[in-house]
Amino acid sequence: MGRRDRRTRLADAALGAVLPLLLLAAWEIATRFALVSSFLLPRPGAVVVRLAEEIAAGTLPAAAGATLLRLTVSYGIAAVVGVGLGIAMARLRTVRWVLDPVVSIALPSPKISLLPVLVLWFGVFDTPKIVIGVLSCVFPIVAGTAAGAAGVDRHLIWSAENLGTRPGALLWRVVLPAALPQIVTALQVALPIAFIAVVVAEMLTGGGGLGGGLIEATRLADPAGAFAHLVAIGVLGFLAMAALRRLRRFILVWHEEEQRQGVII
Amino acid sequence: MRRLLHWLLRSLPVLLMVIAWEAAVRLGLVGAALLPAPTTIAAAWWRLAADGDLLPHAAASLWRATAGLAISVAAGVALGLAMALSRTAERLVQPLVTFLYPLPKSALIPIVLVWFGFGHGAQIAVIVLGCLLPVVLGAYNGARGVEPALVWSARSLGARRAEIVRDVVVRAALPDILAGIRVALALGFVLLVSAEMVGARRGLGFLIAFLGETGAYPAMFAVVVTVMALGFTADRVLLAATRRLLRWREA
Amino acid sequence: MAGRSKIVFDAVRYDYTPPGGAPVPALDGVSLAIAEDEFVAVVGPSGCGKSTLLHLVAGFLPLSDGRILLDGRPVGPPGPDRGVVFQHFALFPWKTVRQNILYGLERKRGLDADTRRALARRYIEMVRLEGFEDLYPAQLSGGMKQRVAIARTLATQPDVLLMDEPFGALDAQTRGLMQEELLAIWSRRRKTVLFVTHDVHEAVLLADRIAVMTARPGRIKALVEVGLPRPRDRAVIRSAAFAERCEDVWALVREEARAAEAGVGQMGATEAGGAR
Repeated sequence: MGRRDRRTRLADAALGAVLPLLLLAAWEIATRFALVSSFLLPRPGAVVVRLAEEIAAGTLPAAAGATLLRLTVSYGIAAVVGVGLGIAMARLRTVRWVLDPVVSIALPSPKISLLPVLVLWFGVFDTPKIVIGVLSCVFPIVAGTAAGAAGVDRHLIWSAENLGTRPGALLWRVVLPAALPQIVTALQVALPIAFIAVVVAEMLTGGGGLGGGLIEATRLADPAGAFAHLVAIGVLGFLAMAALRRLRRFILVWHEEEQRQGVII
Repeated sequence: MRRLLHWLLRSLPVLLMVIAWEAAVRLGLVGAALLPAPTTIAAAWWRLAADGDLLPHAAASLWRATAGLAISVAAGVALGLAMALSRTAERLVQPLVTFLYPLPKSALIPIVLVWFGFGHGAQIAVIVLGCLLPVVLGAYNGARGVEPALVWSARSLGARRAEIVRDVVVRAALPDILAGIRVALALGFVLLVSAEMVGARRGLGFLIAFLGETGAYPAMFAVVVTVMALGFTADRVLLAATRRLLRWREA
Repeated sequence: MAGRSKIVFDAVRYDYTPPGGAPVPALDGVSLAIAEDEFVAVVGPSGCGKSTLLHLVAGFLPLSDGRILLDGRPVGPPGPDRGVVFQHFALFPWKTVRQNILYGLERKRGLDADTRRALARRYIEMVRLEGFEDLYPAQLSGGMKQRVAIARTLATQPDVLLMDEPFGALDAQTRGLMQEELLAIWSRRRKTVLFVTHDVHEAVLLADRIAVMTARPGRIKALVEVGLPRPRDRAVIRSAAFAERCEDVWALVREEARAAEAGVGQMGATEAGGAR
């Protein structure tokens, strides 16, 4: 890590800040000189003030807490069920026969269209939001896990069997660790999908949460409130993905992940 | 004949589930109010289609999805390639992309609706906001992963810079671009249906919400099935196109 | 050494800069002159920079110091005057055999479509790939892929041929056949060839002269005149002269390979020091 390196990194950061700063400046100018109606776009300062107020009043943290809880529960269920089914699909013919067509139909279909059905079945409280979250993100996890577990090098399994590993232990000691990079990738793909679904469910069925607060602010023609919620959702999404990336590095320290380098033309 | 048999065997679990569903409703194991039987749903679908209620909404949704996806692919590929080919573009755009990627795009629906109103424009804008980044990242990663030897051999065969981008970089990035488009397609449908349920006067998402609110549940189920079938079909069409475009990968 | 120099290396240096690290000299003071229509092989321990040397001539990498002259003029960016054959073929996987061979021809000025087609057909015949024209690289064996790559490069009629361990990724039998084929092609249409390999037998079998390189940073340790009769074929390997020449070259390479092995530990130490 030479001085040169640090300087290029500084230049990178400066260049990376150009676009966000330009957008922010355009936003400020557009609102200050009333180029855009404040009904459509609140002033940046107003959004910051609103964020501070709502945090101080505890309303925004409460909404974020409700959303985070729904997200965590639905994502947790989807992760456990999805990884379990995915491995079962890879190892057991019958399970594969049953689930293969189900997954191939369900994976690309927009599950969110089931939301009114879920409201019909489960009412408007937490349950339909959690169920739609699970339905939205479980299939990518199943498909990713199944592909990872089916792709485990046969030689690895043979050599483990040769060393006397029992079938039960084979799953835990060999198949699961070998498929782990792909499983974690599937989990990373699934998180934003669950988040999208939970936010939409909150917008459509009420019951608080960041999505509920956002739609309510929009209905009350309160743009500062709407943008404050939007910022909160963005930050929550960013933090959740960052946490998952960190988890990936922690879980996969042993795994040499390929680093791709660019080519100059 | 063999292919038909194979297909039947593969779809058998789904067919069995549908039959079990029908039986459960007929035998009164599940309340018909909560879950109409498949035959009831089929009848409701036929009525909707025959009355001419389904087609205009389906056409509106499909037009929005096509336009939104087309814009996303064109802009996304251009931006992704620019990021991969120019260090400046990369350093300029990448931090913003990294920050915006995990933002649940559905949160933008209410704001876009306020900005663009309740017509086609808002729905298309929502789709573009959701679909752009997967395509950008596909093109960027694909173009960055080009094997240097391919670029080198094109150069020593006399290709100029623009020719290398066209003949080597884009071609080599194509698998990743198509994978990005596949993600974008699924995401686009989700966002379209969501946006139509939140605020639209036409479209299949609107129709589902409307039928749900008026208690016409068999018809609502019929539209839900239609939406799922459209999403599934679009994915299949893209997969078939991908297989054709990437024929050279199959040995 | 008959004829004038086609390629001249004059005190060539190349520093490799790893991402986020200090530059490491990969080549230092390489000087060598290659005559018109001469076949020169470069051998040396792995990591000595022999492929780097070839990439410098091709114009893929920038020189850190010194000069490389082609026909008396400094080499420029990559171009069709220097044809390159890579170890891993570098065929365009989305193009068929014929389309791969046509690609270079389409970039040449003054060739109409019929001429291009005829040329492509001639080079396909030369590497005996008739009947495979419309297959994709993924459908070919390793040896066939490399024959396509050689045909693609020769079709544009480059001044010099740069071959970077071209048979290194092939199995032993295929490699033997490919060597024979290259000898036959080269004896029919002579060309200046720079041929990088780690295989001493291959170098002696194919080359007029062999440049043995030192361990990193790479320099020319010795130039060995092969002196076996031309035109050559595989039968030559049974001669006493062949065995003797192999022994000579191998003795030179062995010293450097030992040094390179010992240098790996040393290198680790310098890199740790450099990273401070």
